[in-house]
Amino acid sequence: MLSLAARSGALSPYLQATNVAVNGSLKALLPGAVKGDSLLKSSSQKAPAISACVSAPGGIRMAHTDIKVPDFSDYRRPELLDPKKSSQESSESRKTFSYLVTGATAVVGVYTAKTVATQFISSMSASADVLAMSKIEVKLGEIPEGKNMTFKWRGKPLFIRHRTEKEIATEEAVDMAMLRDPQHDKDRVANPKWIIVIGVCTHLGCVPIANAGDYGGYYCPCHGSHYDASGRIRKGPAPLNLEVPYYEFTDDDTVVVG
Amino acid sequence: MKGIRGISKLSVTKLPSGLMIASLDNYFPASRIGVFVKAGCRYESPENQGVTHLLRLAANLTTKGASAFRICRGVEAVGGSLGVTSSRENMIYSVDCLRDHIDTVMEYLINVTTAPEFRPWEVSDLTPRVKMDKALAAQTPQMGVIEGVHGAAYKNALSNSLYCPDYMVGQVNADHMHNFIQNNFTSARMALVGLGVDHNVLKQVGEQFLNIRSGMGTAGTKAQYRGGEVRVQNGSSLVHSVVVSEGAAVGTDEAMAFSVLQHVLGAGPHVKRGSNPTSKLFQGVAKATADPFDASAFNSNYSDSGLFGVYTISQSAAAGDVIKAAISQVKAVTGGVSEADLTRAKTQLKAEYLMSLESSEGLLDAMGLQALSGGVYHSPEAIAQKIDSVSATDVANAANKFVSGKKSMASSGNLIKTPFVDEI
Repeated sequence: MLSLAARSGALSPYLQATNVAVNGSLKALLPGAVKGDSLLKSSSQKAPAISACVSAPGGIRMAHTDIKVPDFSDYRRPELLDPKKSSQESSESRKTFSYLVTGATAVVGVYTAKTVATQFISSMSASADVLAMSKIEVKLGEIPEGKNMTFKWRGKPLFIRHRTEKEIATEEAVDMAMLRDPQHDKDRVANPKWIIVIGVCTHLGCVPIANAGDYGGYYCPCHGSHYDASGRIRKGPAPLNLEVPYYEFTDDDTVVVG
Repeated sequence: MKGIRGISKLSVTKLPSGLMIASLDNYFPASRIGVFVKAGCRYESPENQGVTHLLRLAANLTTKGASAFRICRGVEAVGGSLGVTSSRENMIYSVDCLRDHIDTVMEYLINVTTAPEFRPWEVSDLTPRVKMDKALAAQTPQMGVIEGVHGAAYKNALSNSLYCPDYMVGQVNADHMHNFIQNNFTSARMALVGLGVDHNVLKQVGEQFLNIRSGMGTAGTKAQYRGGEVRVQNGSSLVHSVVVSEGAAVGTDEAMAFSVLQHVLGAGPHVKRGSNPTSKLFQGVAKATADPFDASAFNSNYSDSGLFGVYTISQSAAAGDVIKAAISQVKAVTGGVSEADLTRAKTQLKAEYLMSLESSEGLLDAMGLQALSGGVYHSPEAIAQKIDSVSATDVANAANKFVSGKKSMASSGNLIKTPFVDEI
C-alpha cells in the first residue's frame, strides 16, 4: 500500500536498482514550487547505481580521464626537455635560430625562383642559330690594300676597306670644324688599316658606291652624298657619318663583326 | 475517486486482458509515464539468474520499431529521459518529458517494453556495463549488506540478487531475455500509469500495444524464509550490519504496524546533522558507545513475505556493543510503547508518505504500485487513516515477532568484534 520509499525510509535506495537509459534534461521540479513548502527528504528514490557513467550507449558523457598524452621528447629541443624549467631563458636563442633559418631559406628561395623564372622566360628569346647569324667572321688577308669588300651582314651591306698609309694620314689630318658630323678618325677605327662601316647611306638608305666620290671614299648615287675614306659625310644631303658596327679582331688576320 | 490535492481526478481502468491503466493530471508542465511489470528479480529461475539486470540495462537497445540510436536520439531530441528501475518484485519502465512531446516518448516506451529485439551483439556489448554496474554497487557497503541479508534469509525467489551474479556475467544471452519477457511481461501483470496524460490516450495505447501477451505468465514461487547469516570480512574500519527476522507482506495490517514500529525505533535522521533525539535506537546505542555510529530500523515488504530488523553502522571495535544495544532497544518496545512515542511515529510515517507523493516520481511510483496490486486505489487520506488506526498493542506484537522470530544477519567490514547471529 505504502510506496517503497515510505516503507523503507532511508534505506529505500538500496532495495531497488535503476538504470537511466537516456538521461534527459528535465530536472525534478521542486514540489514546493506548486504549493507551500516541502520538507521532502533529500534522499531520492533512485538507487546508487544511477551515477551517470553507467549508460554509455545511452548518450551520457564520461570524463575522458583515460587519455594519455604521448611522449614528445624525441621531437623537442634539448633546452626544452625538462618540463620543470622555464622556457623563457632559451626563448631568445630559439627565436634567433628559427628566424635566421627562415630568413636564409627565404632568400635562397627567392633567388632560386628568380633563376628558374628567368631560365624559362629567356628560353623564349632568340636561339643560338639565330644569334650566330648576327655575327660575321672575315679573313682580312684576302682583302688587298686600297680595296673595299662588301659582305652581307644582318641584312645590310658591310664595307671592309683595307686603307693605304696615304689614306690614313689624310683622314687623320681632316679638320673637325669642316665636318657635318664631327668625329676623329681614331674614334671610328680600332686599327687604322681597316675601316669597317655599314654600307647604308644615312640620308635615305641607299648603298654607297666604294672608291667613288670627291673625297676618296664612298659616293651615294641616289642623292649625291660624298663620304671620305673614314666613312664621314663630306658633301651632300646625308646628315650623319656611316655607322660603325661593333667589331673585334680575334687575331691579326680575322675580325668578328657583331 | 477523490483526486489528489483536488487538482484532477485519478482514473483507473482495468482492461479485459488484465492490464491496469491509471492516470492523473496534476497540470505540471512535465509529464511522466510508467509501465509497471510484476517481473522483478524474484521471478528469475536458477537457469537465468541475472536476466533482470540485463533487462534493466537493455532499455535502450534496438527494438522492432526503432533502433538504439533512434531511441536515444528521439528521446534526447525532446529533452526527455528514459529509465528502468527494478526491485525484487517489480520492474518500472518510465519516461518523462514536456507535455507536448509525450506522444513521441510514449512510442519509444511502447517499443522498449513490448517489442525489443535483443540483437546478440548488442546484448554481448552489455557485459562491460554489467561489470561497471556491479562495481558501482560494490562501492556502497549498504548495497552489499542488504543483498546479502536477502540471500541469507530466503531459500528462493527473494534471495535472488538485484545484480547479475559473477558466474553469469557474459552468460546471459538474448534467448534468456526473450524467454523471461515471454513468461513474465504479460498483460495481467502490467500496469500503464501516466501523470499528466489523457486517460483515453493511455487506454488506447494499452488496448493496442500492451495486450500482446495474455495470461498470468509463469507464477512465481512462494518465498520461503530460512534465516541464515552472511559475513563479508574486508579491511573497512566501519562495520555495516543488519539483523532481521521475518516481517509482514505488503498490504496487510501487520505491515502497517511494522512501518509504525520502524518509525518508533527510528528510520533515519529527520534533521540534517541533528542528534536524532526521536530515534530510540539512536539514543539507546549512544549510551553503549562513544564512537561514531548509525542505527536505523530496516523494513521491507514483499507480496508474500517481508523483513524487519535493525541496520547498524559502527566502528569495528564497538560493533558488538552497538548491535546488542540496538536489539535490546527493540526488546524494550515489546513491553509497550508510550502514547507520545506512538503519535510521534505515526506522524512521522504519515509525513514521510505524503512527502514522497509530492514529487512526480514518487507519485507515479505510488500510483503504479497500487495499480499493480489489484487496482484498488487508496487515497492518501485513507492511508493516513489506516496509519492512525494502528494501536500500541499492534506495535508491541510486531516487536515481539521480531524478537522471537528466527533471525538472519549480514555484516561487512572488519568483523573481529562482530557477534554471530546465534550470539545475539
